[in-house]
Amino acid sequence: MAERRLPPHPSQIIDRSKPISFEYEGRRIPGFKGDTVASAMYASGIDIFGRSFKYHRPRGLLCVSGRCPNCMMNVDGTPNVRACACAAEDVERATGQNAWPSVENDALSALQHFDRLMPVGFYYKTLVRPKAAWHLAEPVIRRVAGLGTVDTSRVPDTEYEHVNAYTDVAVIGGGPAGMSAALAAAGAGARVALIDEGESLGGHLRYETLPHMVPDALMRFGEGQGGGGGEDYAALGYQMARYLAELVEASGRIRVYAGASAMALYQGNMITVHQGEKIVKLRADQVVVATGAQESPPVFPNNDLPGVLLSSGALRLVNLYGVSPGNRGVIFTNCDDGLRAAAQLLNAGVGAHIVVDSRMRHTCPFAEDFRERNVTLLQGWKVVKAEGGKRLKSVLLESTREGAQRSVDCDFLCLAPNPEPVTALLSQADTKLTYDQVLGAMVPSQLPDSVYAAGDVTGFQDVEVHLLQGRIAGLKAASASGAGGCDDNLEDLASQLTLAESVHRGELSSSPFRSTVGKRFGRAKRFVCLCEDVTEKDVRQAIDEGFADVQSLKRYSTVSMGPCQGKMCHKSYTYLISEATGLGLDAVGGTTPRPPFHPTPLGAIAGPGHMPFRMTPIHHAHLRAGGKMAEVGQWKRPHSYGDPIDEIEAVRTRVGIIDVSTLGKLDVVGKDAPALLDRVYTHYFSNLGVGRIRYGVICSDSGIIMDDGTVTRLADDHYYVTTGTGNIDLVEEWFRWWTVGTEMCAYVANVTPGFGAVNVAGPKARETLQKLTEVDLSRDKFRYMRSARGEVAGVPALFLRVGFVGEAGWELHFPAEYGEHVWESIMEAGAEFGIAPFGVEAQRVLRLEKKHLIPGQDTDVMSNPLESDLEWAVKFEKEDFIGREALKQVLERGYRNRMVGFVMENGAVPEDGTPVLEHGWPVGKVTSSRFSPSIGKGFGLAWVPDRLAAEGQLLEIRAPGGMAWARVRHAPVYDPEGVHLRE
Amino acid sequence: MSFLLNCPNCGSRSVNDYRYGGEVTARPSPGDSEETWSAYFYVRKNVAGLQREWWYHKYGCRRWFQAERNTLNNEVSATFWPGEGPGQTLGNGS
Repeated sequence: MAERRLPPHPSQIIDRSKPISFEYEGRRIPGFKGDTVASAMYASGIDIFGRSFKYHRPRGLLCVSGRCPNCMMNVDGTPNVRACACAAEDVERATGQNAWPSVENDALSALQHFDRLMPVGFYYKTLVRPKAAWHLAEPVIRRVAGLGTVDTSRVPDTEYEHVNAYTDVAVIGGGPAGMSAALAAAGAGARVALIDEGESLGGHLRYETLPHMVPDALMRFGEGQGGGGGEDYAALGYQMARYLAELVEASGRIRVYAGASAMALYQGNMITVHQGEKIVKLRADQVVVATGAQESPPVFPNNDLPGVLLSSGALRLVNLYGVSPGNRGVIFTNCDDGLRAAAQLLNAGVGAHIVVDSRMRHTCPFAEDFRERNVTLLQGWKVVKAEGGKRLKSVLLESTREGAQRSVDCDFLCLAPNPEPVTALLSQADTKLTYDQVLGAMVPSQLPDSVYAAGDVTGFQDVEVHLLQGRIAGLKAASASGAGGCDDNLEDLASQLTLAESVHRGELSSSPFRSTVGKRFGRAKRFVCLCEDVTEKDVRQAIDEGFADVQSLKRYSTVSMGPCQGKMCHKSYTYLISEATGLGLDAVGGTTPRPPFHPTPLGAIAGPGHMPFRMTPIHHAHLRAGGKMAEVGQWKRPHSYGDPIDEIEAVRTRVGIIDVSTLGKLDVVGKDAPALLDRVYTHYFSNLGVGRIRYGVICSDSGIIMDDGTVTRLADDHYYVTTGTGNIDLVEEWFRWWTVGTEMCAYVANVTPGFGAVNVAGPKARETLQKLTEVDLSRDKFRYMRSARGEVAGVPALFLRVGFVGEAGWELHFPAEYGEHVWESIMEAGAEFGIAPFGVEAQRVLRLEKKHLIPGQDTDVMSNPLESDLEWAVKFEKEDFIGREALKQVLERGYRNRMVGFVMENGAVPEDGTPVLEHGWPVGKVTSSRFSPSIGKGFGLAWVPDRLAAEGQLLEIRAPGGMAWARVRHAPVYDPEGVHLRE
Repeated sequence: MSFLLNCPNCGSRSVNDYRYGGEVTARPSPGDSEETWSAYFYVRKNVAGLQREWWYHKYGCRRWFQAERNTLNNEVSATFWPGEGPGQTLGNGS
């Protein structure tokens, strides 16, 4: 194997004093710190980096920038990692994917000879009849086609996080234009964020070893910006990149997001930046887009052979990693940038013998260089075919004039087409793009407010133009953000730019690669879309079948729908459409580039794996008591402390205590507080006596139950409202909504976190609590649905005598700080009576035995209080309340469904949510179902049609172990008269 | 959605700080016809263009206000307290 490492050069970023290595397919791959997985592998003689999606053709390095799909592999368990953009330093092991038995020798590559059986639009044409054919074929197709597989048993050690950030000016792209913009904006006083994909700043300059000469003033920022003498600054590309990067680092106002990709540019200049395990949601006042340009491969037979690579990729390999693409290369270009690339490759000692320029009689600035090195320059020629098996062996050249052909041996082919501006983010921001004939590209012609473009993305490929564009954009952005004054020289700069642009335009000449080789070269495949293995033949056929616009062609042929999302094929297929339809590229347009710009792990988008949760002030006491905690809405609550059945027994026969601090709590104060509550509740509250409690239901205006709870009148103008655990925000919003603009004197304060609460209930509840308070709890002095203020265990508390669980009991609300003290005191006081803490599960059964519904559990978005058996809580006598008109309509139309209690006939206990059947058809639904210790049977609540709601009606319910019968029972199964409750 | 919204109390904030309250509608009076009420419950204009709508500053001052927003491009032309905008109706029946 030939040694592919080149001698050291200052442009290289590898550190030869620090060797590293990793495993690939059973062998050790050596490399250096600074290498990527791909550069180390290529240096070790590996040519095939992956197998194509459909035909399993061998694929080698192409873009070397993380854009194309060719080098995707599994790196340390993560599939579909682009090896060329993955630092090798900490990698242990890389493995190939989508190949059998190996990427090097993939038996499935035989598939490419059956392409006739897989025409474009395959899924629409084949395996349609019989229907079973698809089901037989699908698993096979899924297995042989595709990308890497996810190891679902693997627990990644990634810790994703989301970060919010703000900046005056965001600059996307850290090339010369981006750095110039960032430095200019920072110099004018703006805070700047600079986002760049590379390991370090510089963009394409990082891997350029030819000199650039620009006016000295353009390389100076801040003090004396833009002024100064007329001397020139001259430096090699990578030196210029490093110089600018140093200025950026020294600026102090520029925050650099390196190795980060801007996934999207959303409304309001929200940029989502993916950086490793982090997503930064960056809000910028102004945005400078300097995303550069990229090459996409021209279409000719076997254009996907390993050994065929883009010139920017070759330059990266050579100038960053010191890896030579080969020893006997051909360079094929249509623009001066390609000739520059050729010159740089030759300077670096890469063996190349022919430069093919498709342009006729063009003055080549490097003609002398080429001659000296015995490199043949062929003008007016083009590459019409690549040949070879697993790697390129030769190319066929053809003269555009005479049609003469010659075959040339080579071991690599470097493609240097005129690069295409990367306008995806600009398009997302609604920028209008127009085809520029001279620049040969779709360029931004109308930018939205607060968005600027600079650099290669504008179609110009001249560093002086880039620096000027960047500086002007940066100054304008800083000024528009209000953070910095605009430079006095802006007009001078603009005229300088106009001049530089027109000079550059005058120098430009490129001729598009025509892809009209047709069938002269046999059946060799000409790839348009490398991700999905769509060939030129497929695209032409699809166009012939009528899919001749970008949108339908994309959907029908799957062109551009692979991992690179059209980065490599967009130019080619739009060109093919243009050619076939005679429409200009402007009219052909393009598909909409959607976020994310680069493939992004779902984990990064989903964000951190944890949710914040709330703990009650008694949380730690529950843990000490062995509480099994469950998530209830935002809260952690004890599900139980052992066996819920024991807890139920304690409440029914002795005394139980439950933490109900999670209840929503609202303080409603003001002279119009009674009017507000009358308005939002279906019941009256203006006539509620001070010190009394009433149950209330809140409906939406369309009569749907939103929440329920108790309302206690503390004073004429003061109410204390409790809501369901998860509903507090909703209810608070709702109360405020109905006071907006009314001049109603009613103030709503959410006091949920300020108060802890416990419910102490059971035959011994009175005796337990009486030990701790002066408040007279005796049966006649403290009656059901009454309240009092007092102290419990020395803590000020509000006593509410309510009966959610169906026993005599008090809900105590007290300052949250005393949570554990109150809890422990009551536990101690109740010890002699056999007190037991009970959890959410026991409470659910207890309340169900009393037929108390829970909104959201027993009701849904169709449930109104009338059909939910809460007619008694709806007061139509009131002139108006929220939901009144809708509920009146329900009365008029008659009840359709009803919520009923049921008791199982046999021993079955259905699950929550199981259907109620009638003649085998589902007509209703069980909303809550449990085993009742009181009656020793399964029971619950269900929604059934009105005709099935009569007392004693038999209901057929699906239960574990088969169908079972239940009977409708309207009265609660426990204590229907409420005797215990009032005891 | 990632635009900014100007709370009349707190100032410009990300739209994620707010809860959308729907388009401003006028609540009928108790005596009005069933058709009028049904339209109020279920029918929305869903305009493609300038719309007056409710917003609640959930992670801020917890106050309701109204905005005039172009539903085509999310450009918010004005935000104001109910009763203060041009040609104002309160919309919540008040």
